[in-house]
Amino acid sequence: MALTPEEVRKIASLARLRFTPEQESVFVHQLGRIVDYIDQLQSFAGEESGADAAAPVREAADVARPCLPRDLFLANAPAAARGEFLVVPEVKGGGEDG
Amino acid sequence: MAEIWELSVEEVARRVRSGDLSAAEVTEAALARTARVEPLIAAYLEIYADAARLRAAEIDRRLAAGEDPGLLAGVPVALKDNLSLAGSPLTCASKILSGYVAPYTATAVERVLDAGAVILGRANMDEFAMGSSCEGSAYQVTRNPWDLGMVPGGSSGGPAAAVAAGSVPLAFGSDTGGSIRQPAALCGVVGIKPTWGRVSRYGLVAFASSTDQVGPLARSVRDAALALSVIAGPDANDATCSERPAEDYLARVEEGIGGLRVGFIREIDVAGFDAASARDWRAAIDHLARAGAEIVEVSVPSLEAAIAVYYVIATCEASANLARFDGVRYGRRAAADNLADLYVDSRSEGFGAEVKRRIMLGTFALSSGYYEAYYGRARSVLGRMRRELDTAFVQADVVVTPTAPGAAFGIGEKVDDPLAMYLSDIFTTPASLVGLPAVAVPTGADDRGLPLSLQIMGRPFAEATVLRAAWALERVVAWRCAPSFRGARGAEAG
Repeated sequence: MALTPEEVRKIASLARLRFTPEQESVFVHQLGRIVDYIDQLQSFAGEESGADAAAPVREAADVARPCLPRDLFLANAPAAARGEFLVVPEVKGGGEDG
Repeated sequence: MAEIWELSVEEVARRVRSGDLSAAEVTEAALARTARVEPLIAAYLEIYADAARLRAAEIDRRLAAGEDPGLLAGVPVALKDNLSLAGSPLTCASKILSGYVAPYTATAVERVLDAGAVILGRANMDEFAMGSSCEGSAYQVTRNPWDLGMVPGGSSGGPAAAVAAGSVPLAFGSDTGGSIRQPAALCGVVGIKPTWGRVSRYGLVAFASSTDQVGPLARSVRDAALALSVIAGPDANDATCSERPAEDYLARVEEGIGGLRVGFIREIDVAGFDAASARDWRAAIDHLARAGAEIVEVSVPSLEAAIAVYYVIATCEASANLARFDGVRYGRRAAADNLADLYVDSRSEGFGAEVKRRIMLGTFALSSGYYEAYYGRARSVLGRMRRELDTAFVQADVVVTPTAPGAAFGIGEKVDDPLAMYLSDIFTTPASLVGLPAVAVPTGADDRGLPLSLQIMGRPFAEATVLRAAWALERVVAWRCAPSFRGARGAEAG
């Protein structure tokens, strides 16, 4: 199925991405071709499988363990305050669904 | 006599442990070789020359004090730039992680260090491991040591090129849909994608969690087997890592393949191959037969849907995994005066084209109204593929395919055609999706002297069997990884 520019804009909004009109037209074309290709799955008979992976996933023990120290975590933050908090701009406003 | 940089992993470790060679000498040889080849191939994003020298001196001090540094004593190693090493930058070759410093060390890397290795640098890759040519790096294009006009493959193109060029005898990468095996094939080295759950993923930046695995690239099957023995095994930090104990994959690798049933997939159509690849594929099967294997035909009709299944499932998982890169907790932050724009601008400025394409595709396939038609459908076809491979592994002990549909392609050749690039992964994606171990082994060269490779897949956790077959094939083929650096100005670097 071909994707319309409106659909591509909708997906971009869900993915928290924004494109210039030029980028958007490239994406409409490229994503359309890829979706056309994966559409072959619709005519391919599938079946339910049992186990999900080669190795069954076990649950981690419900035990408190040390985690990444706060100073190490905040050292990578673009903005932090008082060695305790991440800093972000105003939460209200902006974005298409802001 | 071989130069130090030409020695195998086993030989380096043996001689360093016996005191015949110092870790410092090995490190200097690796740095000198790297200084010679790196301007040609651009395999590294960063070379840790000073840290490597300090580390080598530490290994030598421990040896002098009577300690045994371990199975990889003094072995220079390159790490793909998505494996965490505490205190070192980690970018996944993406602008969005510029400035990020890993706060802890990946379990696989910790084990490599515990075994006495010396980390030489972090190697280039396609951004966030999404690509088959290494052209998707936000920083540089790595070149294939056999021909500098060709891609090294991807996404572990930097590690594969570094090993092939003799910079290091061993590198570690990650493989989600072929990212160790395909570059290993294109660069003429051995690459192992272990069973999903065989090696801890703790400290590996996630792309598609249901298929991501860490594995080694080396110039011989024995070296790759040794490296896998070091990194495999349970890890309390990764609940998806199997509790099965690690094995010594070297112990029985030379036992031979008399009576081993090697399955070739009936649906592989050589009509689509170039003449050299078709010839090489047939020859590899003949080699295995001559080494004592029984060749049997197996059927995996869902092979033709593998790319479609993979590019739905992997992109869905990627769209979720990469949601964490939003400019708030780490990495690049765009200038914005409200939070919603901060997310959108940081991601739009920080991610490259292929990463955005995959996030978009995954978001689409998971979106309301399309989920069942794409993600649900892909899971269902994957169920069929799993059943078909289960049946194949009743008839055969290992199943072989070419690793890639052909030899290395030209830089820029597929960069504007994402679908053509995705089709490079046709043979590697099934083992990823089903979680099987698979190894890429060099089998020869095409008419241009570019390496070709066979993929050998096994049952879950049958790495030892897969490596036994790989060693038997390697012995018959007698491949020598000695790239010519075609296209280099002046004398060759080899």
